[in-house]
Amino acid sequence: MLYPPPVFLKAENVTRSFGVRRIFGPLSFEVAPGTVFGIAGRNGAGKTTLIKMLAGLIRPTSGRVLVASSREPGAALLSPRDTPLALGWAAPDLALYGELTPAENLAFFAKVRGEDDSPKRIDAKIERVGLDPKRLASVETRFLSTGMRQRLKLAFATLSEPTVLFLDEPSSNLDEAGRAIVAKVVAEQRRGGTVLIASNDTRDLGLADEVMTL
Amino acid sequence: MSRPSVLSSSIAVFQKDLRSEWRTRTAVSALLLFAFAVLILVGYAVGPANISREDRPVVHSVLLWIVIFFSAMTGLSRVFVHEEESGTAAALRLSAPSAAIYLGKLLANLALLALVLLFVVPLFLALMSFSIACWPLFLLVLLLGSIGLAAASTFTAAIVSKASAKGAMFAVLAIPLLLPPLVAAVSGTRIAATESGIAAGLDILQLLLAYDGVVTTAAFLLFDAVFRE
Amino acid sequence: MGGLRILLQWFLGLVMVVIIWGAFLWARAAANFVGQSSRIVFFHVPQAWVAFLAFLVAAIHSGLYLKNRRIENDEAAAGAARLGIVFCVLATITGSIFAKVMWNSYWNWDPRETSIVLLLLVYGAYLGLRGAVEEPERRATLSAAYALAAFVTVPFLMFAVPRLYSSLHPDTVINARGKVEMSTDIRVVFFSSIAAFTALFFWLYSLDRKVSRIVREAARRQEQEFAA
Repeated sequence: MLYPPPVFLKAENVTRSFGVRRIFGPLSFEVAPGTVFGIAGRNGAGKTTLIKMLAGLIRPTSGRVLVASSREPGAALLSPRDTPLALGWAAPDLALYGELTPAENLAFFAKVRGEDDSPKRIDAKIERVGLDPKRLASVETRFLSTGMRQRLKLAFATLSEPTVLFLDEPSSNLDEAGRAIVAKVVAEQRRGGTVLIASNDTRDLGLADEVMTL
Repeated sequence: MSRPSVLSSSIAVFQKDLRSEWRTRTAVSALLLFAFAVLILVGYAVGPANISREDRPVVHSVLLWIVIFFSAMTGLSRVFVHEEESGTAAALRLSAPSAAIYLGKLLANLALLALVLLFVVPLFLALMSFSIACWPLFLLVLLLGSIGLAAASTFTAAIVSKASAKGAMFAVLAIPLLLPPLVAAVSGTRIAATESGIAAGLDILQLLLAYDGVVTTAAFLLFDAVFRE
Repeated sequence: MGGLRILLQWFLGLVMVVIIWGAFLWARAAANFVGQSSRIVFFHVPQAWVAFLAFLVAAIHSGLYLKNRRIENDEAAAGAARLGIVFCVLATITGSIFAKVMWNSYWNWDPRETSIVLLLLVYGAYLGLRGAVEEPERRATLSAAYALAAFVTVPFLMFAVPRLYSSLHPDTVINARGKVEMSTDIRVVFFSSIAAFTALFFWLYSLDRKVSRIVREAARRQEQEFAA
């Protein structure tokens, strides 16, 4: 085994408190490349808070989180806040722009990140999550069904081939075909990357190699 | 992964906001309807003839900026409040550097404000028979005043989008920051209505320029902490 | 430490008594002022000074919070702002009384009157914002950013307003010629009062810090008991 082991995500004694009320922690763990890490726990245990903290969307009350800045072996570990573009994120409280079409949404995020926003690449991303780019070409996202929007979120999360993909309740509102898409996205991401799944759904957690219960 | 430049990212944010706004026209219609209602009210209640000739420059300058300011308060917070309420703020945060987001949103608000000014100013001048003696000064005061207004409002919008009671808080937080440039802009407008040369208003222009510089710099520096909270 | 503190507290109380005595009985009323009205300067100016000082303290702690993310700095900034608003109100009221006696109107939109009102608005907005954010860390970040933004924009009013209204306000402390023009008795009481009000502010401020510490500690213990 290599030492130090290649790590894509590392949490060191992270805690989160609301005022003086501690929600969870201290927690320490590491996630190696190619691993799918599950976070389970009853409602209110802090799954969403933890996964948001790992993605740098909220600050830990104490302790720190480090994520790989690129997929290269031996890439620097940085605070997720300093390398947001290396992270993929999909969650129930995330939304894409309702007034834009799915393709416009993905093209906007590609452009803002300085990536290729050509229709060819964007359409391929939309197809990858099982949506038909031609049929949705002139449909604004707010008129899509919740399941279709959930698929679009997966396309957004994997847009830039992130080092770490964070999925909070990835199968919510998805049918069987949608669940297959989640499984496919997770399988693709673990090739050279890492996936974190926070969920109560046993089938979501079944995709994980290792499950931590809060 | 190539690092995008702040400028190109901010332009992408700006274009995205314009496109969203064009599809719904929520902010534009709120701003213009509000401005129109206030103009009608002011025009009817004060009118051109109810004030003595020598009082007109002062009263009209104050009223003009009140209309502009309160119209701005109805629409300029949307750039961030809408992102936060609809849940898109996190996606934006994971995609663009804070500086680019502030700049893009500032441009969007400036565009919105420019539209309001194009609508309000000619109508106001006509309705109130408000004559301007020095057009260059008047236009510069409008330009510098609205840059300050947009820069401070955009920053305040980012703060209120993370607080509760967003609508009420926006004006409460913006007024103390905006009182200095508004007072200066009112004096500048009054001078433009009475003096024919630009020289009389130079110190006002300096003051507005300095304010714009300071508030934009401060907002740039503080915005990252606010937006990533 | 505790003994020295109590001694200083009593000393401050004694100094305040002497200043009140000096202000009303020892110092002469200044010429050019209506009747005895000049005596209010011994209280009004120190209050206004403390109102600005509190703003400075709040801004410094806000900056420190954004740098170090220590909740103590946030509590300190909020404490300074709460005290600042009290002194701001006092300065506004005493100023108004003086204006009524001197210029026969409670309010003249004098540049200094306007700036104290702006300060009142800033304090109000700052505390209002704190009330509108539930989560402590978010509240701390947002209010610190706001306090700093206000700190750099408020001074502009001092330059903007004199262009609209000319000042009636007497030269404070140092006049346009850069000289202190006060008779010795007035000067002694005036500067002692400034010093005493500054000390009063820091004493109240230290009490406020102590209260925050106790509240935080009590909440922490309660939480531990709850967890156990």
